[in-house]
Amino acid sequence: MKQWLLEVYRVWWREFRLVLRDEGVVIFFFAVCAVYPVLYSLIYNTEVERDEPIVVVDDCRTQLSRQLTRRLDATPEVSVVSIAANMQEARELMHRKKCYAIVYLPRDLSQAVGSQRQGHVSVYCDMSVMLRYKNMLMAVTNVTQAMGAETMHHAVEPVLGGAPATVVESRQVPIGNTGMGIASAILLFVLPLVLQQSMLLGIGMLHGGSIERRRRNRGYDPMEERACVSATLFGKMMCHQVVYVLPVIYVLYFTPMMFDFPQNAHLLHTLALAVPFIIAVSFMGQTLQAFVNERESVFLLFAFTSVIFVFLTGVSWPRFEMSRFWYTIGDCVPSTWMCNGYVLMQSTGATLAQIAHPLKMLWLQCGVMYVLAYCVERFVSRRRYRAWQQSSREDANALQRYDLVKNGIG
Amino acid sequence: MIGRYIAESFKRGTVQLVRRPMYFLMMVIVPLFGAWVLMDLMDEGGIHRVPVAVVDRDDSNLSRSLLRTLDGFQQVSITHHCKDFNEAKLLVQSGDIYGFYYIPDGLEERALGGHQPVVSYYVSYAYYAPASMQYKGFKTISLLSNAGVVRTMLRTVGLRDQAIAAKLQPYATHVHTPANPWLNYNYYLSTSFVPCLFALIVLLITAFTLGSELKSGLCRQWLAAAGDNMVLALAGKLIPHTVLLTAVGWLMQWMMYRVYDVPLNCNPWHMLLAMPLLVMANQGFAVLMFCFTPNFRFGSTLCTLMGMLSFSFCAFSLPEEAMYPWVQAIGYVMPIKYYFLLSVDQALNGIDLYYSRVYYAVLLGYVVVPLLLSWRLKHECMNPVYVP
Repeated sequence: MKQWLLEVYRVWWREFRLVLRDEGVVIFFFAVCAVYPVLYSLIYNTEVERDEPIVVVDDCRTQLSRQLTRRLDATPEVSVVSIAANMQEARELMHRKKCYAIVYLPRDLSQAVGSQRQGHVSVYCDMSVMLRYKNMLMAVTNVTQAMGAETMHHAVEPVLGGAPATVVESRQVPIGNTGMGIASAILLFVLPLVLQQSMLLGIGMLHGGSIERRRRNRGYDPMEERACVSATLFGKMMCHQVVYVLPVIYVLYFTPMMFDFPQNAHLLHTLALAVPFIIAVSFMGQTLQAFVNERESVFLLFAFTSVIFVFLTGVSWPRFEMSRFWYTIGDCVPSTWMCNGYVLMQSTGATLAQIAHPLKMLWLQCGVMYVLAYCVERFVSRRRYRAWQQSSREDANALQRYDLVKNGIG
Repeated sequence: MIGRYIAESFKRGTVQLVRRPMYFLMMVIVPLFGAWVLMDLMDEGGIHRVPVAVVDRDDSNLSRSLLRTLDGFQQVSITHHCKDFNEAKLLVQSGDIYGFYYIPDGLEERALGGHQPVVSYYVSYAYYAPASMQYKGFKTISLLSNAGVVRTMLRTVGLRDQAIAAKLQPYATHVHTPANPWLNYNYYLSTSFVPCLFALIVLLITAFTLGSELKSGLCRQWLAAAGDNMVLALAGKLIPHTVLLTAVGWLMQWMMYRVYDVPLNCNPWHMLLAMPLLVMANQGFAVLMFCFTPNFRFGSTLCTLMGMLSFSFCAFSLPEEAMYPWVQAIGYVMPIKYYFLLSVDQALNGIDLYYSRVYYAVLLGYVVVPLLLSWRLKHECMNPVYVP
């Protein structure tokens, strides 16, 4: 046992030095964690969209239709950029992206409302971005409803004699993300994911470097600390844990502070969630590193997975709508549990006890990922190194020749 | 002579492409797999039945009928009945529900007595998409309940239904969304995210293949094979990629427009033509990054950074008008932005090709610009230095 602990310590120390000496890995572990969250937050920092350009085609040309246009323009959501003479002109403006919706007020609008028939207002929306559509819809509905309520009140009052037009009032209370901002909703999901992806990339790059050294040194890595499989895995994991203390605090605690996202989580609770997360991701990285054969191929192999992982967390498409299959796949990724747990703590102020399920799942993943990493290290990687050492003993240039062949020479 | 160089460099490029299984994995398997994941994930198309709770403190005839109607809506599904506010709040915090509808004490009594009671709906905006669905459901039920009570009152004084409808809703709003009448979420998300993922992969592969030459120090041979002509060397190396990637891109378009039935309202040729342009524009962009920083790691890092951020910069989810001007501007640096705009014009809205002419031209421009800077890459290829 003492021997094992000593091995863990030696692997930890060696890995630590490798990390700090490797510029590429330092960029992943520190620079990416420092820059990405800020960049992402800045992109979405406007939080809400205001004054979406729309065009009104007013065939009615009465006091009522002008009032409707003015009130539309006064909403925070849209701004009337032009009053077009006819639909054709309005369509031309839409095609040129000068506006994203056309509101059509028909000739008989005022007459219909005045003679107690229903007046029809038509809205034609551009559907390229969903949020735009939602905003425009909200503005038009709110204005017509408000004007409708006034008209209704005038119409109903003489019949019902003074009874209020709205019998039951309703109001929306946003919770969690009280500003209803898009940055506060999306970024809390993205932040833990930045940690996960930067770590996977860094671990992959370290392994790629080791593989390259082996290829140059007849299958041996001179920088490697000889240790049993479990000690190697734990030593590296401890190193990642130590290296990530600062990025975790910066990304999960200070970034929301900088951009005023919801911050209802206690730092210690966040850390309690982050510890199993980092362990799980470290072992996940040590499993996936088997695919990496040179330093730079991590860009190719791991960068695109961020897109898939971010969808699996349920940020844009909720998890309860996913099919059983995708739901289960999502369950297997540490970021899914970390993101959801973190979001619940930060925005709705959940305590650790309330997010016990994500926490338990993260610890479970630590175990599963460890077993996977163990199998890969023992039965794939180490076996491969032995084969390389064997073939290099027979032919000293065997490994270099492999390099040339794949570059199209020989 | 030039013919021999052309043959030589194309041969070299093709052999490299074929000999590495990683290229096959990244150029064929990953893009198709990624496209399938994104499209299959959202195959439902719309968000229905968001789990919510109700807190009914009134427990009267009116409140129960309200909740029955609410449960009939497709937007929400009542999974929990809570006895008080606190219980519902705890459920939101543990992530079991996304919001709740709160009916206060004495709703019916106050409504009939004309005292305007207030019902509230608490919506957790930590999850954006379910929140807007809930808002829709809760808002509609609140309006309906109101209309229901007023309708009964008007009927009792002897008004006809038609006159009542006009009184209750003087303005009927008709929303037309000709491009996506089903309001399908998949049509909107996958038409932007799938090509963007593909563009990212093209950037990464091009960066990788250029960087490998610099790293292995074989770039002199690469140049020599093309008679020291950088443009020819680039063409020999990248055109085999273009051919394969375009074929994969067409397969993705087929998946998108035919298998998953995403709207394609233009002549299919308009989108088919855009695909090779997208591939070449992204290759051109990666070459440009390498001309700026002729170094494997820096070049790849730049391509990854720009490729990953283009999902956000290019305004697929938050409209560009809402962004800071500098963010908007960076969006227009990326080739995928133009592909997105032209696919909106052509495939989604089906308007004249005339309106998208600029986007096609800009995509073509990305192929030309890096050639002007290729002397920098050539200089590096003559004196390669590998920085790990």
